[in-house]
Amino acid sequence: MSKLTIGKLAALAEVSADTLRYYEREGLIAPLSKSEGGYRLYNEDSARRIYFIKHAQHCGFTLAEIRELLTVRGRDSACCGDVRKLAVEKKLQLESKIRTMQTMSKALDRLIVDCAEVTHPVDECPILTALEHANGTATHHEN
Amino acid sequence: MKIELFYTPGCAKCTASHGDLKTIAEQTIDGLVWQEVNILEQIDHAVDLGVLTVPAIAIDGELVFASLPTSQQLRAELLRRRDGKN
Repeated sequence: MSKLTIGKLAALAEVSADTLRYYEREGLIAPLSKSEGGYRLYNEDSARRIYFIKHAQHCGFTLAEIRELLTVRGRDSACCGDVRKLAVEKKLQLESKIRTMQTMSKALDRLIVDCAEVTHPVDECPILTALEHANGTATHHEN
Repeated sequence: MKIELFYTPGCAKCTASHGDLKTIAEQTIDGLVWQEVNILEQIDHAVDLGVLTVPAIAIDGELVFASLPTSQQLRAELLRRRDGKN
């Protein structure tokens, strides 16, 4: 199996060398060895590991969670159910975030409807007034 | 009183403890309703209750345990709720 420098691995996996160094600091990858000149050396398995990390990121996993997935993958006693559990919990997190963002989007809908007259001067803008009012209410409660 | 246990099918950790917890719950509260909820079939309901980890337990529509409790913990919580209502 041929050895890859960090630059070649970065090109193969379509990430930057800085990203690889960051992954290494986060404990996600490690060079197989170092050259006599002290350069990091990797192989094709390292590239597969990076593809794994990228795909997991696309599914919403954080680097800490990906580290856990990689740990599970390397554990002899682990089973598919362990990975599935992590995937289900990630889906719950995403669904919860979607719910929160939908609430925020609906709040914006209300403000946008209130601002039907776009030719009003900005100091009469109902959106800015509503946001200022919300802030004033919070200040009032603090006093 | 109603208990919902959210689980994922095939989760060995979930199924191993279900029976013990169900038994202790039914012994503790008369007329207890025990429901095992496949989270993949009712994910909206799980999100409504704030479930972010599995397995988890909700009591009367409130998420109480984000991971499986021991039998003693479940029994103590059920008694606290029962006595609080009386």
